[in-house]
Amino acid sequence: MISKVLIANRGEIALRIIAACREAGVATVAVHSEADRDSLHVRMADDSVCIGPAYANASYLNITAVIAAAEISGADAIHPGYGFLAENAHFAEIVQECGLVWIGPPPEAIRAMGDKANARRTVSARGVPVLPGSSEPLSSRDDAVALAEEIGYPVILKASAGGGGRGMRVARDVRELRHVFETARSEAEKAFGVGDVYLEKYLTSPRHIEVQVMADGKGRVLAVGERECSIQRRHQKLIEEAPSPVVDAELRERMCTAATDAAAAVGYVSAGTVEFLYDRGEFYFMEMNTRIQVEHPVTEWVTGMDLVMEQLRIANGNALSIRKRPRIVGHAIEFRINAEDPDTFAPSPGEITELALPFGPGVRVDTHIYRGYRIPPYYDSLIAKLIVHGADRRAAIDRARGALRMFLIGGVRTSIALHQRILEEADFLEGNLSTSFMDRFGARE
Amino acid sequence: MFTFAELCELIRIVSETRVGGLEVERDGMRVHIDGVPAAPVLEARGGAPLLPPQLAVPGQLSGNPIALPGGASAPAPAAPATPAEEEGLSFVTSPIVGTFYVAPSPDSEPYVKPGDHVSKGQVLCIVEAMKLMNEIEADVSGVVVRRYPENAQPVEFGERLFAVRAT
Repeated sequence: MISKVLIANRGEIALRIIAACREAGVATVAVHSEADRDSLHVRMADDSVCIGPAYANASYLNITAVIAAAEISGADAIHPGYGFLAENAHFAEIVQECGLVWIGPPPEAIRAMGDKANARRTVSARGVPVLPGSSEPLSSRDDAVALAEEIGYPVILKASAGGGGRGMRVARDVRELRHVFETARSEAEKAFGVGDVYLEKYLTSPRHIEVQVMADGKGRVLAVGERECSIQRRHQKLIEEAPSPVVDAELRERMCTAATDAAAAVGYVSAGTVEFLYDRGEFYFMEMNTRIQVEHPVTEWVTGMDLVMEQLRIANGNALSIRKRPRIVGHAIEFRINAEDPDTFAPSPGEITELALPFGPGVRVDTHIYRGYRIPPYYDSLIAKLIVHGADRRAAIDRARGALRMFLIGGVRTSIALHQRILEEADFLEGNLSTSFMDRFGARE
Repeated sequence: MFTFAELCELIRIVSETRVGGLEVERDGMRVHIDGVPAAPVLEARGGAPLLPPQLAVPGQLSGNPIALPGGASAPAPAAPATPAEEEGLSFVTSPIVGTFYVAPSPDSEPYVKPGDHVSKGQVLCIVEAMKLMNEIEADVSGVVVRRYPENAQPVEFGERLFAVRAT
């Protein structure tokens, strides 16, 4: 049994995990950089260890420091949260080799899904739909051009080692493809240390719909429902909701089956998310995120599950608490509140001089900020997540309007105003979403 | 060992009396609490102070690093000490999180003892992380005034290991 969990993360997700551990009666260890000394996760955990300077490479991404912190604090398990080391198979292996429990998927599953070209090939072999494209890394520019001619432009070049929107180049015709091919390879080489790229048909205005999967390693792989995350800016999600306004019972069945097939293909265990692109009635596997996600609360709200608690249960060797896909109740929407200028999107670090949090029925706020907290400039700009729930999408939107009005953050610029503007958009209200929604939104400003 | 409640009580006393600091020793464990006079107190949402006086428990972690609820984690390497005490001192801090050792092996003599003269670049101690022994060197020449952690004690990144008076 796990008795003390080290949380290899910071911010709201560290607090979210601490809350679940406390509820489960498990002690917690916070690790932090010098810049996060006054962070709430440090204060809320039972123990804390400073593991390095502000720069994440030397602290939150420093495997030796995290393991040493687990050793000196007597932790027997590590929860990686999201980002940082969460999808680092090498780290997961070291955690296990050190005799610690890794609260996440098997390292082999992380590795299999981390190589995007391999993931595409693996799930495709199980009958999961993928976009037309290459199943192997492309060896030459001519191969890329030949394939693009076959499937039709536009096409997108993706780094095998990329993901999360990084390492991608779009080509609209043969001239562009010839031009970007080598650039994409050298970018991939520089960013990920591996120059392999593969090619797919590019959808100009798809919807991003993902399926939350939970697997307990005892043969139970459950898809617990979808989320729509089409409202994105530069591939960064801004608003996520469950259920998707475009998914009906028949489509949900097909997507959930595809998601569990994809997870089962790599022997998945713990919480994970299979991301799909949806276009004109069809959906295509994009990638699998082998970790808990930022937007997990919307699924929690419509299913009544506590996904972090399920992760703890699974890591302890227990079966999932549910046997079949839960019933979806109502509609939940999450708004990511970033410390950034709502017009220019420039980061806005600084001190929180004033803070009032929204509350009331159907309102949840996951955050690590407090009055007097200084947002350090070194990390992600996410400072809070507002999650609302209503009987249906319309009710959830109405509730969101009220909650955003009640959400006061002084001292830094935030994306609250941007969310308020999005909630006035006819397309958003009607559920006409796509990943290019924010482009049009920006152009209209 | 001090109980958790006792530590909280000590902090409360330092905080309320606004004395410069307090040092208590019992059963080989020494707790040092620095008071921060007129430090700005941040209000929690409930109105309770979030930050008590800065805590310093130099080199006195027992089995686990100590994090006091509602407070800064201990030790606070940057904890301000009285200027008179620190004048002319140079502090060697731990570049990594790990376990502190005074000697290369349990049977060996310590690399240095308080009072020893050390030269820049001389090995002062070892901090072990993931079975790797990292030798920590003096960054100035001078006399070792103080060693903070006990042998085999866990140290955090940035924690003070030695005070050296440069010569």
